Amino acid sequence: LCRGGLAERLCRLQNRERSAISFWRHQCISDDKIPSDKSGVLIVKILEIFEECTIQVAICQQLEQSPVTFSPEDAVINAEEPILKVLFTRETAAHLKSRPQDVIHIYPPWQKLLLQNADVPVIMNTYFSQKVLLSEHSEAREKTYGLTKMLIRKNIISLAQTFRLDDLDDELHQDPSDNQVACALQIHNNGGSKQHPLALSAVNDSLLEMVESQGAVGWREVQVRVVIQRVYCLPARERCRSHTQGNKPLCATPVTNSDPPNVRLCLLVQDAYGMFSEVQLQSLSSTDDIEQYCRRWEGKSCCLAGMKILQRTTRGRALGLFSLIDSLWPPAVPLKVPGQSQDSEMMTTNLPPPSFCYILTVQSGEIRVEVDEEEQISNLYQPPAVHGLKEILRIGGCNERCSFWAQVLYQRLQTKHNVPIDQRDILLFVTDSTLQNVVYGIPKVVAVSVTASCVLSMEIREALSAGSRLVFFKDALWGNGRIICVERTVLLLQKPLLCLAAGADLSELTGPVKLDELDSTTQANSVCALRGTVVGVNESTAFSWPTCDRCGNGKLELCPQDRELLYCNQCSEVVTTPVLKMQLEVFLSCPSRSQSTVKVKVRHEISVGVSALFVLLTMLLFLQTYEVQSVLGREVGLLNCYVHSVTSHPNCVALEEIVLL
Amino acid sequence: STLPAVAEELLREIKKAFQESSHVPDDLLLGLKFIFGPSAVPALDLVDQRAVTRVTAPSGRTLYQVLGSSGKLYTCYSSCHFCTCPAFGFSVLQKSESLLCKHILAVYLSQAMGACQELSVSEEQLTNILLAEEEDEG
Repeated sequence: LCRGGLAERLCRLQNRERSAISFWRHQCISDDKIPSDKSGVLIVKILEIFEECTIQVAICQQLEQSPVTFSPEDAVINAEEPILKVLFTRETAAHLKSRPQDVIHIYPPWQKLLLQNADVPVIMNTYFSQKVLLSEHSEAREKTYGLTKMLIRKNIISLAQTFRLDDLDDELHQDPSDNQVACALQIHNNGGSKQHPLALSAVNDSLLEMVESQGAVGWREVQVRVVIQRVYCLPARERCRSHTQGNKPLCATPVTNSDPPNVRLCLLVQDAYGMFSEVQLQSLSSTDDIEQYCRRWEGKSCCLAGMKILQRTTRGRALGLFSLIDSLWPPAVPLKVPGQSQDSEMMTTNLPPPSFCYILTVQSGEIRVEVDEEEQISNLYQPPAVHGLKEILRIGGCNERCSFWAQVLYQRLQTKHNVPIDQRDILLFVTDSTLQNVVYGIPKVVAVSVTASCVLSMEIREALSAGSRLVFFKDALWGNGRIICVERTVLLLQKPLLCLAAGADLSELTGPVKLDELDSTTQANSVCALRGTVVGVNESTAFSWPTCDRCGNGKLELCPQDRELLYCNQCSEVVTTPVLKMQLEVFLSCPSRSQSTVKVKVRHEISVGVSALFVLLTMLLFLQTYEVQSVLGREVGLLNCYVHSVTSHPNCVALEEIVLL
Repeated sequence: STLPAVAEELLREIKKAFQESSHVPDDLLLGLKFIFGPSAVPALDLVDQRAVTRVTAPSGRTLYQVLGSSGKLYTCYSSCHFCTCPAFGFSVLQKSESLLCKHILAVYLSQAMGACQELSVSEEQLTNILLAEEEDEG
């Protein structure tokens, strides 16, 4: 290190600080009571904790005096007392093991930092901190708490946010894109008579005015009243930018290090002038609430305040967002005309849809979205238009948003194994009465592709795998002959309260589901039914294996203690009654597709009760079931199958027998 | 997120203090240590050694080159937080354990204290510096 340089100075300071810290800690332990010198001690009560880059950030309330006289249960949070953000280093945090509701004494020297745009002061250099235990009762609780590990939310910091060391004046310069007020409605006059910023606490009804007044004095107090058209979740883009060099991506591990899914609750709102905005709210800890939010919030009015502009996006850059906006255009009621008196309204029949949209987000720590849940549904709200699948298949356009209510018959997960399960694409096969009741001309079953960007709740995922369920697909995308669920599509288990059911039949299916029969038009990655005669058996594919009867795990192992027993390491238990699965490829001759060789992987399973005889039994069953002679010539049908591939040279269709949900 | 705003304010205070008195007070140095942890001392060392160079091209494009202790030259971007050193790839990108690596911190500190060396190059030379990084790691 350079003599006399900054590094050397910091080294010396740091060493001194370290000795002071260990001396102080030692003193605290040996004294076993709170040191009497109270001057300069900061007393805080922790409300919330999260972590950023090994620094623990605690949102705290500053207390006037140490509450030694009463237990934590008595302490009522006084709304008047100031809020602080207290930072702790990893080492201090490990020493404190703090949790929400804990009271911490922070001894000097600590530092207070006031940030430019925030009201909440930040407390640093908190090495000399001590948790206060208020009573015998809480000491015991403390011990039990120490055993259970608390999960702390970890915020991942974006690398796109650099530090500006320049003066404050530079910050007020507007982003160039904000200056261009493109005319969404071709009437809003930029240069002409514009209303001055309204009284600070009054409720505005124009999103554009709120956005334009950003940076002006008191803009944070402006509230805008809007209608919530849609509620959905977006996957949070917390991952870093990947620096790709040729084919080698050099990027961070995928966002799986946090246990809760990284999704953000978003609202698509519209103001009285017809302008749309996407508001990104807080990260959700559980996606199960999305159905609740949809039911309670869609169609209601709300007041937004303290929003920050994340982005101004245009049609060309955000096709997904604008396909949703287009589905809500033209508006349900006449729009207000800006700059003119309150009474005049504009007819909306010929207005072109918006070409730009602001994406807003919540200011750090403040969520000021007040939804009038008690109020009636707004007239401006346009509920999703539900159609039968038959009608959807007939829609002409591309990238149209559509909503429907369908029964899920079969689910197939994408097989990439290096991608976590909740990020894999899913292929669903669905049907409804409009498809099932038609005899000829349209398919009986339709494939719906669910991409990883469509956020699914755990409840939906379980429902898709478990039983035959009716699922409401809200705002799916139809284009190029396929239905896909992408960002902003929401899958729900309950019918929406309000929807335009234009001729759609929302009733349940009666009778068994029918699949299209295998024929010359059958394509790969579809499902079909077939019947035929066995003309050959591919003996080399005959395979049987035991599976766990609890979880279906196909990779059982021999028990280390008793080599005759089977062990499932997913359930961590011995499998006493394994399910024996057998599969075999047979060649069929199918009259509906007589030119092709039809190869079907068939499966059977039986539960083996007596595990000690397992090996012997396997052999017997195997030999018995698949004795080739007895199988040839047998009639097979009607099998439900998934089509793996269809090739023309050689003319072959490879299928796999499936069980419909 | 809180930490970037705190880090930014701390760096601004350092700049202000330095501009007013050509001196950085002890409490700000300790603040650096608190926020940036083990990167603080090595970053200050790089500043002491005047190891940071700001490279600009006529178009206005800039990047920073930092001469590391091993003699290796690392490149830091100005438009986002990125550095070609292995510690950045590990601590910042992979583990999200640090906000910055010592080189990027040194860049900010050198900016705050006017300790950057300046180098003007042609567009082509700047492009070559950026491309050279790719070849090294490719």
